[in-house]
Amino acid sequence: MPIIQTENLTKIYGTGETAVVALDHINMAVEKGEFLAVMGPSGCGKSTLLHLVGGLDRPTEGRVLLDGRDLTALEDDNLAALRRRRIGFVFQFYNLIPVLTALENAALPLLLDGVRPAEAHRHAAEWLQRLGMGDRLHHRPDQLSGGQQQRVAIARALVAEPDLILADEPTGNLDSRAGDEIAALLRRISSEWGRTILLVTHDPRIAAHADRILFMKDGRIIDETRLAGTGEEQAQALRERMETL
Amino acid sequence: MRVQLMMALRYLRGRKLRTALTTMAVVFGVAVLFGMNALLPTMLQAFRQTVMAATGKVDLMFTSVTDGPFPADRVEIIQGMEGIAEVTGSLRRNILLPPDMASQAGLNAVTLVGVDPEVAARMRHYPLKEGRFLAADDGDAVVVSKGLAEKLGLAPGSTLTLPSAKGTTDFEVVGILNVPSIPGVEEVYVPLPAAQRLLEMPGQINVIEATVKPGVDRDEVEKAALAALGDLFKAEPPEVGEELIASLEMGEIAFALFGVMALAIGAFIILNTFRTVVVERRHDLGMLRAVGASRRAVVGLILAESLLQGVLGTAAGLAAGYGLAWVLLLSVKSVMQQYLRMEAIAPIITLPNLMTAVVLGLGATLAGGLWPALAAGRVTPVEALRPVVPGAYERAARRRGTVGAVLVVLAALALLTGNFNLAALGTLLFLVGLVLVAPVLVSPLSRLFGRLLALIFAREGRLAEGNLARQPNRAAITASALMVGLAMILALAGIVTSTFDGFMSYIDHSLRADFLLMPASLVLGGGNVGAGPELVEEIRAVPGVAGATTLRLATAAVDGLTVQVVGVDPETYPQLSGLVFRYGDSEEAFAALGRERAMIVNGVFAAQRRVKVGDVLTLQTPEGKREYRVVGVGSDYLNAKLVTAYISQANLERDFHQTADLLVMVEAADDADMAAVQARLEEIVRKYPSFVLTEWRSFREEQERVFGQSVSLFNVIGVMFALPSLLAMVNTLTINVMERTREIGVLRAVGSTRRQVRRMVIAESLLLGALGTAFGILAGLWLGYVLVAGMNVSGFVIPYYFPYTGVLVAVAVGLLIGVGAAVLPARRAARLDVVAALRYE
Ligand SMILES: Nc1ncnc2c1ncn2[C@@H]1O[C@H](COP(=O)(O)OP(=O)(O)O)[C@@H](O)[C@H]1O
Ligand SMILES: [Mg+2]
Repeated sequence: MPIIQTENLTKIYGTGETAVVALDHINMAVEKGEFLAVMGPSGCGKSTLLHLVGGLDRPTEGRVLLDGRDLTALEDDNLAALRRRRIGFVFQFYNLIPVLTALENAALPLLLDGVRPAEAHRHAAEWLQRLGMGDRLHHRPDQLSGGQQQRVAIARALVAEPDLILADEPTGNLDSRAGDEIAALLRRISSEWGRTILLVTHDPRIAAHADRILFMKDGRIIDETRLAGTGEEQAQALRERMETL
Repeated sequence: MRVQLMMALRYLRGRKLRTALTTMAVVFGVAVLFGMNALLPTMLQAFRQTVMAATGKVDLMFTSVTDGPFPADRVEIIQGMEGIAEVTGSLRRNILLPPDMASQAGLNAVTLVGVDPEVAARMRHYPLKEGRFLAADDGDAVVVSKGLAEKLGLAPGSTLTLPSAKGTTDFEVVGILNVPSIPGVEEVYVPLPAAQRLLEMPGQINVIEATVKPGVDRDEVEKAALAALGDLFKAEPPEVGEELIASLEMGEIAFALFGVMALAIGAFIILNTFRTVVVERRHDLGMLRAVGASRRAVVGLILAESLLQGVLGTAAGLAAGYGLAWVLLLSVKSVMQQYLRMEAIAPIITLPNLMTAVVLGLGATLAGGLWPALAAGRVTPVEALRPVVPGAYERAARRRGTVGAVLVVLAALALLTGNFNLAALGTLLFLVGLVLVAPVLVSPLSRLFGRLLALIFAREGRLAEGNLARQPNRAAITASALMVGLAMILALAGIVTSTFDGFMSYIDHSLRADFLLMPASLVLGGGNVGAGPELVEEIRAVPGVAGATTLRLATAAVDGLTVQVVGVDPETYPQLSGLVFRYGDSEEAFAALGRERAMIVNGVFAAQRRVKVGDVLTLQTPEGKREYRVVGVGSDYLNAKLVTAYISQANLERDFHQTADLLVMVEAADDADMAAVQARLEEIVRKYPSFVLTEWRSFREEQERVFGQSVSLFNVIGVMFALPSLLAMVNTLTINVMERTREIGVLRAVGSTRRQVRRMVIAESLLLGALGTAFGILAGLWLGYVLVAGMNVSGFVIPYYFPYTGVLVAVAVGLLIGVGAAVLPARRAARLDVVAALRYE
């Protein structure tokens, strides 16, 4: 059974004349352990798809199934609990709480879940260590570089040991070197720690790390490709593919 | 809950200045509430103890329901009753001292107590310092306290001259009591017959006191005695100095109200701050929701923050209040020690007071935080991840604006009903409505003011206007902080102006005679000694006097309500003076007074008992029940605050046995030599020490001066109210600039000079100031009008006068604040490091 499955997933913003169809009857699935990238031009509905899959927003029509369970049928509190325990988010703007330290930020989902602070902090410290942030535990976000902040955000996404990581343009706000590092990190999270990753990006170099790629345009999935070969070759192929969209 | 507290602490620490300013609002309210309530009971207690020590104890005390005199033989009814040990009748009256003696003694009046010497000495202990207590065969003998004797230089054998109905009476001092003197309750004891002669009340007493036999249930005896005396009598708790105690208790209530109002403003400021906090932190909140915080957790976070401030503010407020109580206590300590012989007095902290202050302090912060917290709970995760969609926002604002407009209309309707309770509720609706409507009004109003501003700040004005229009909600929040402060100032100004002008017009209309002979205390009641008919006859005979009329006084009860009954001469009174009529016609009403048992009631009376012209009321008089027809509703200046009925002097004599004149109004002839008339009147008055001769014009000036003083007191209170909300305005404006740091960085990056940035911030602040002033004036006028209307409903009728000066002051203050609040933020904005600003989140 796929970990994520969508059925006729549709999102329409606004009504009447100004209505925007952001997602148009999307049917797709993400297998357990898979690293899936969704690519497409700006405004094609990638973020909307991610938000619906992560239970951040509700669809206009259709369903999202997580492990076969219908997310759209869940109450707000249950969705929140689900986001705490089963799903980790990584965003383009790192979205850390400015008044909390790296450690506290990373521990947040556990703390919100009622885990004792000492234990939550121990988990968070472990993940930060693994992601190379062991020497920055007590820095506040404004004392960290963009790439470091994104690592804290990734630690936060992983701290509750969720099966599913959703990442929305996680490198969009970084220079190319930091971007590469983050992309490699996501690859590691998939191969080394076996998490399922759904990544949204328009950058071919980043998407090239994925196992499989979906191409979107105007709220629809128009193509799909499975990747093999070296990173650079794949990136080139993807770049060409994107041009045609 | 632990995470929320931790985050709340961090957020508060991250914004120290704002936290301090917001907390101040709570500190202020709690301090007033707690401090005053810790102080006043101390004084009350000290006072009670001293009074008790001085007067000793009797078990039972009865007076007439009218507080008037009654025949001395009523004592006999009690005499034979079971359980009664001793019983005695006495006559107690405050009498005013003549001015020279008053200044020497340091008090205006003493309580003359006429007692049956033998029985009194058995019932109470009178500790003697010198001489002896009164004896049965004493004539005009008097026993005074040690303090009074020292002040007046009295010793056994010397003479004390007291004012009487016929002029003065000389008393021989026979004894000095070893009791402390207390201002206002200084008692001098004379034999009952001497008191009755002095007060022209032969055979009358006004208090029955009794002790019960040991082992007898006091309350049972009291009940039986009351039943035997009939429904003309009431039982009194045996306490003296009740008036002083009552006014201290009033003070307690007033300060409690003041504290509660200050806390209400505090709650509003908290509300304002947290609304800003939620707007400012939308992004963080949405993010928290995205990583799995439940709605409740987010609500809890904001509530935790306000609660922390509440705890902080309440704790600081308690400390500040305790300090305040000490400072005030020390400043009155010497007076207290001198009069109350209290060595060690300290503020009393009672558990209820502590609890009240804590509950109200925390309650206010929680109440203020609740709405923003709920709003925070509604922030959706996606909102953190996308820019706010203006369309949706505008729709919500318009919806709220509509609700607000409806509330304002409802409030107006409530005001029109003339029902005070509805109007008061309406005020609340009005304020809430205004807060809701404000964001919708921000755009048009800022366009209007922006055009004016563009005359001074050509380019920056336009930019500032744009900034406000883009964030109407935030602009409205900032402006409403100012609104509350100005509204308070203006509402107070409205009341003060109306009261001031109202009182002056009362004086002009109802106390308009060239000369007034009045009791020094300026109230008719209080047991002033009146004059017999000789006084006014003598005055009428003075050459150059065109006419004179007098006021007399008695007390009655209507269904348990004590009413002061003023006797007027229906012929001469309206000619020389008159009442300000609200209902009824002056001429007809006074004619009716002369014709039958008719009365004119004043506004307070009419309001408390819902009396209308044409009603027939039963007055409880010393002669029993008498029916009086109401022929008008109107008041004079002196009695406007007390429940009063005006009847003819003929009826007052018939039903109340009162013939003493307490106030004489004298009108000089047009061609009279005023100086000569005044000189002659002064000569006459010298024989009546309880009267003071006042020329009308100087009386009016004196009243104006006294009022001026209380007006300045009100101004201080106004400033105290306004201060916290003005701080809040500075606070929100600073936040405004901080939030736009990045934007300002962009402006600087594309080439704006520091000067331009500074001018932009100042222009924006001025715009906000103008908005807040406009709202504040609107709300303040409304509030003032409602409060004055409320006073009218309570019967204290004053017309509403528009506070022109208040409006001018509000405009000036509003604009000043507008500029003043911008000083710090503008400097901050201009000094921004461009690169750092661009990176600011
Ligand atoms: N809250 C919203 N209201 C109206 N339209 C929206 C909203 N959010 C997104 N859209 C529109 O939906 C479409 C898809 O947006 P998005 O999912 O953010 O695209 P992407 O992430 O691929 O750039 C875009 O046209 C965007 O303008
Ligand atoms: Mg996107």
